[in-house]
Amino acid sequence: MTNDRERPTEVGREEKEGMAAVRAVRKAEFCMPKPEEPGAQLGESDTWADKLQTLVRQNKIAAISAVVIVLMILAAVFAPLVAPYDHLAQSLTDRLQDPSAAHWLGTDELGRDVLSRIIFGARISLTVGLVPTLISMAIGTILGLCAGFYGGKTDFIIMRLADVMLAFPSLLLAMVVMYTMGGGLINIFIALSLVNWAGTARIVRSQTLSLKEKEFVEAARSIGVKKWTIMFRHILPNCLPSLIVLFTLNIPSAILSEASLSFLGIGAQPPSASWGLMVVRGKKYLFSEPWLSIAPSVAIMIVVLAFNFLGDGLRDVLDPYLKEQ
Amino acid sequence: MKKKLSLVLATAMTLGLVLSGCGGGNTSGGGGEAGTEPVPGAGAETTEAAAAGDPAVDTTGFMMDVLNADIQTADVQKTSKDYTMPQNIYDRLLDIEVDDAGVSKIVPSLAEDWDISGDGLEYTFHLRQGVKFHNGNDFTAEDVVYTFNRLLTVENGVNTELLDQVKGAAELIEGSADTLEGVEQIDDYTIKITLKEPFAAFLSCLTAPGLSIYDSEATEAAGDQFGMDPAVTIGTGPFRFAGWTFNDQLVLVKNEDYWRGAPKLPGVVIKIIPDTETQTMMFESGELDLLDLDFVTDATERFLETYPDQIVQGPRVGITYFTMNFNIEPFQDVKVRRAVQMAIDRQAILDALYGGRGQVEHGIYPYGLIGFNEGQTKISYDPEGAKALLAEAGYGDGFTMELAADASASDTVTMALEIIKEQLAAVGIQAEIKNYDESTWLETRKAGELGSFMSTWTADFNDPENFIYTFFGNEEKTRIRSINYPDAAVMARVSGARGIVNEDERLAEYQALEEKLIHEDAAWVPMYSRMHLWAVSKRVHNFKPVWSGVGDRMYYGVSLSE
Amino acid sequence: MLSRVLKRIFISIPVLIGVVLAIFVMLRIVPGDPVTTMMGEHVNPAVIEKISHEMGLDQPLIVQFFRYVANALRGDFGTSYRLNRNVTQIILDAFPNTVRLSLLAAAVAWLIGIVAGIVAAIQQNKLLDRLFMGSALLGVSMPVFMTALVLQYVFAFRLKWFPVSGFDSLRAMILPAIALGWNSAGSIARMTRSNLVEVMQNDFIRTARAKGLRENGVIVGHALKNAMLPVVTMMALQLSSMLSGAVLTESVFGVPGIGRLAVNGIETRDMPLLQGTVVFTTILIILGNLIADLLYNVLDPRIREGA
Repeated sequence: MTNDRERPTEVGREEKEGMAAVRAVRKAEFCMPKPEEPGAQLGESDTWADKLQTLVRQNKIAAISAVVIVLMILAAVFAPLVAPYDHLAQSLTDRLQDPSAAHWLGTDELGRDVLSRIIFGARISLTVGLVPTLISMAIGTILGLCAGFYGGKTDFIIMRLADVMLAFPSLLLAMVVMYTMGGGLINIFIALSLVNWAGTARIVRSQTLSLKEKEFVEAARSIGVKKWTIMFRHILPNCLPSLIVLFTLNIPSAILSEASLSFLGIGAQPPSASWGLMVVRGKKYLFSEPWLSIAPSVAIMIVVLAFNFLGDGLRDVLDPYLKEQ
Repeated sequence: MKKKLSLVLATAMTLGLVLSGCGGGNTSGGGGEAGTEPVPGAGAETTEAAAAGDPAVDTTGFMMDVLNADIQTADVQKTSKDYTMPQNIYDRLLDIEVDDAGVSKIVPSLAEDWDISGDGLEYTFHLRQGVKFHNGNDFTAEDVVYTFNRLLTVENGVNTELLDQVKGAAELIEGSADTLEGVEQIDDYTIKITLKEPFAAFLSCLTAPGLSIYDSEATEAAGDQFGMDPAVTIGTGPFRFAGWTFNDQLVLVKNEDYWRGAPKLPGVVIKIIPDTETQTMMFESGELDLLDLDFVTDATERFLETYPDQIVQGPRVGITYFTMNFNIEPFQDVKVRRAVQMAIDRQAILDALYGGRGQVEHGIYPYGLIGFNEGQTKISYDPEGAKALLAEAGYGDGFTMELAADASASDTVTMALEIIKEQLAAVGIQAEIKNYDESTWLETRKAGELGSFMSTWTADFNDPENFIYTFFGNEEKTRIRSINYPDAAVMARVSGARGIVNEDERLAEYQALEEKLIHEDAAWVPMYSRMHLWAVSKRVHNFKPVWSGVGDRMYYGVSLSE
Repeated sequence: MLSRVLKRIFISIPVLIGVVLAIFVMLRIVPGDPVTTMMGEHVNPAVIEKISHEMGLDQPLIVQFFRYVANALRGDFGTSYRLNRNVTQIILDAFPNTVRLSLLAAAVAWLIGIVAGIVAAIQQNKLLDRLFMGSALLGVSMPVFMTALVLQYVFAFRLKWFPVSGFDSLRAMILPAIALGWNSAGSIARMTRSNLVEVMQNDFIRTARAKGLRENGVIVGHALKNAMLPVVTMMALQLSSMLSGAVLTESVFGVPGIGRLAVNGIETRDMPLLQGTVVFTTILIILGNLIADLLYNVLDPRIREGA
């Protein structure tokens, strides 16, 4: 099937102001807001189930990725049942063993089963992917809605704040937060949440801007529906497709950020093991026991790729402009 | 379209400009292993070498060493950890020499000879004549007086405690005196140092890198650039500080006129490489001549297998210890403390983390230190006994405690804590590892409120005083280590032992105190002392690990074959 | 045009102030006394007090802030706690290395990204597409420090094509640049591909095809031209992620650049150094965006005409 609709190269005048222009282009890679197009909203005929079906039919890789992600989440949730060993149980006599029938991925520097640690590590790494992304997107969505809906000073203040956040290189900003608060998981959540909300805010704002001119919003207004109700009942649902795509694509970057922070010694702290920390620790044995760093690296890669593929797939389905065939 | 083209061109030109601007030729010696080509610089670029300092230094043929973090300063009066430069560019009045049997003795350096008065208060030093600083100035008694005065008055100074037994030191620090009363110039080559009370370890003190001797004229002229700008950082040592590019490299060039004879090495380049895997790859590709395996503990086994003939080792005089804070429940109870001593399998940790290279310690003075006591009471690993003791103390069901980890410490220390956590769990003690950032860790520790932690104290100079006094010298000393040892009488003895002039009596007292503190009062858990291993390239000869924890690298005496 | 430029610049000012303020505040809520940490073990409390006073750390925060901004405007980021040196000087010494690294990495990212993107678009959904997009994605999906380490291991250590570390010759710079650029190459390849795919469906391309132009000629000649615009601006934006990545790449390869300074600042709790580095880097990014923005104006006739 071919798509004859011409894609507007311009993202919308609003966004072209200031740094916004380039920002929008960057985000366009992930999720292009196309407010003019009714297809971007959920029509009655186009249910979620339909979309899902389309996804499975059209994009095998995305579908497989979804399965991989679900499996990973299940493994993380049921880690104690799935993992062959206790991930914290040390055995100093069995340190640094090669992969074997007993230990499929060998043992680490304290004689702990690497496979079990990866399975338990999925809990931390997936949480690091999900929680800060959820928090930052929630913040970003609310601020974006407010900015777009109220406009004026509110808009100005929120968007300048977003400009400030977006100006920082994310890793450096996270480093500053970790410098202030010290290492540890909770602090990583805070750091990554603080760093990443601005992008979401921009996209939600620009969608809100055009949605609020739509008939159904006008109609709601005219019959005196409260502002907050309009924002959350009428506008927000229409931003959902973009948000879902954005969510899927933000998770891997959070997971990678955590790994980077661990590399710098300000990420997750032992004895809890995120994949990032396992890579960093295992890296010391890269030449003699390479699986110690390669196994968690591969775990990270699988999850990151899976979320990326799924995100691409979802974008194609939820965002018809970007359909390529 | 034309605009786009010109844009692309402009970008390309900028790129070219920036890239060609970067110095390339500095090939940095290279070629440690036979058969490995030194890595050539790019094309026709000229040697630009180390930016700061001497741009003319050609480092070809220099020995290549590595550090994993850059130094803060080469002014040893302002740092208590970066001793690499000071050890090689300055001299002290006295030196320590360790023979192959591990016995150390104090030998002359800038001071040729000395007399000590009968009451142990007056030290007269006869200085070596004909010694020149790197700038050609003569070394005289005036320089010693200047250096010691500067140590106590310089801005941001540390290491002042090395001289706190000298008469008038406190007054000078506080500002109630202008000069250090206890240090007098008798003539150009004689100085007299007067102590406020007898201090037996004073000669050892003078060997500490912190008491390196500076040139009064050059140092005064350099101001706060001393130690920062290689050109003005002058000493009498075997090497001259020739270049420093921050985060990149330090360059030392041999001092042809060194009074002990010129070094055999033309110079040394110390690369700054934070990543340990990069360090090992550099060594194995021949980009390094020297690799401190302490940086890459985890690669040690592989190095021992792969390069058995290229490993040099020696004991590092220092003790790893595990503390129990007397102010934290339930460590007031000696039975609990003893139980912890018995619950930790130190040999297993040493084996697991360091391949058993080192030895389990039982006291305060580690192997290799004067006063080390082979015959003292041993602490044995006995989890059952520990459980029984805990039950006796009323903690049969165990208790919870904190293991305070310093985030800036090496991973190996954290791993040790992880193991200790498991071993304590085996006797019913629930230990939780709490991670502190460096500053909070240090501050909490100095306030005396830190939970149990593991750390290593390496000798500043070869005397038991440097160990026992640091931890149990008085109420303040024991508090800032978060031990809070409460027995004032014992601490008064520790303090008093510093003034015992008779050497045998003094050592006997120190050993009695060690027995009392560690075996009677179980004041800490002595863990182990370790061997210090180095990998050296095939062309390096005569490299010896330094016995102490201060300044691991002494390049004098080392040579390279071509 | 000029008023537009001025307006853009004007908009950047509050952002700049916000950035400095944000960093300043964040670093001041650090627990613990910075001077204690900075001095380490052997030091007495009187000295600590004296230094705190000299550094103005005993002043109210607001005073400290204005002092900092005033000094920063004069190009003075203060004195490093640990190095006892002017932070601006330290940064300027390290800056050229980071610029070289970033520019080379950008070149690598462009090259790999655009070539992979074009090939993938031409070979849409065929094996080559999958292969190129796969390897592009690989760059995005590995932690940067692992990419760096693997490259170093294979090409420097095993194959000995490059030195393991250092940054003093073009040859030594290649691996760090690839390690850093690969990450961005992935994004660029994906964007080039999807833009090309879309543009190729446009009417004017069909016209070109109908006129009998060869397929590849069509793509290179027309589609690319239209597809490049967003990619060009994206490159400027990659500056931000590049400078983030540089923190890791520089550590692995031992490049004495700005990223290392940030790590130094964290490791040694050197607040002025960290603060100076982050503020400097961020200003750089803001300027980069500004320039990209203006370039966008130059490159895109629609906006120019609209102005």
